[in-house]
Amino acid sequence: MRLLKTGRWITIVGLALLAAVYVRALAFTPVERFQGAAQKIYYIHVPSALCAMLAMGLVGVAGILYLLIKDPRFDRFGEASAEVGTAFSLVMLTTGPIWAKPIWGTWWTWDARLTLTLFLFLLFLGYLLLRGAVTDPGLRARYSAVLGICGLALLPFIHLSVYLFRTLHPQPIVLKPSAPSLPGEMLVTLLFSFLVFTILYVGFVTQRYALSLLREQAEQHA
Amino acid sequence: MPENTSYMVAAYVITAAILLGYAIVLYRRTLKP
Repeated sequence: MRLLKTGRWITIVGLALLAAVYVRALAFTPVERFQGAAQKIYYIHVPSALCAMLAMGLVGVAGILYLLIKDPRFDRFGEASAEVGTAFSLVMLTTGPIWAKPIWGTWWTWDARLTLTLFLFLLFLGYLLLRGAVTDPGLRARYSAVLGICGLALLPFIHLSVYLFRTLHPQPIVLKPSAPSLPGEMLVTLLFSFLVFTILYVGFVTQRYALSLLREQAEQHA
Repeated sequence: MPENTSYMVAAYVITAAILLGYAIVLYRRTLKP
């Protein structure tokens, strides 16, 4: 199937570029003076968090479109995006504590930002469990769409949590109204990494979407 | 060697393992009849 092959190639390109991100981040980006090498976790933690939020955002948008148009392609896309988002949120939730330990002195704290991102991960899991539990395709798509929209509504709270509550988590240094407060070399590495994580997201979702399509076609023929 | 290198290495290895692992899972799923 052409879509599956396209997704596979995008993923291969993404993984090769991920290796380039590692080289750029580890060998060609300066070490931060106060945090040492741990600061370089930034170049994988932030893009994975952004991709997890992008994934949930698109699950929500697909959910809205499904409820409006009832096109099964939106449901299929939502499923694919949720599964890929689970993988990216897992990266976010493992790299975050590894970074927190040497800098904050603790792996985890129940502050607003961390708790809400954990909630995002659990929402992804809940979405996938829901899809596994409901057998009727129409009901499954409708319930999933509603849960996806709830996930979309969660995103602004995650972004604003560092402004609304007292948290250990730092405020954004790039995604803010003023200019990014990051040296040029570090900013280039971050943007490159974000681009590569987005390519991986596209590759994974394309493959996952194609797999759902193949499964549905096989079920129809059975 | 810069400070906190072990934490950085752990984070990069885990990220590669998750993303590569997921890519392999997707690939293996396509091989199933």
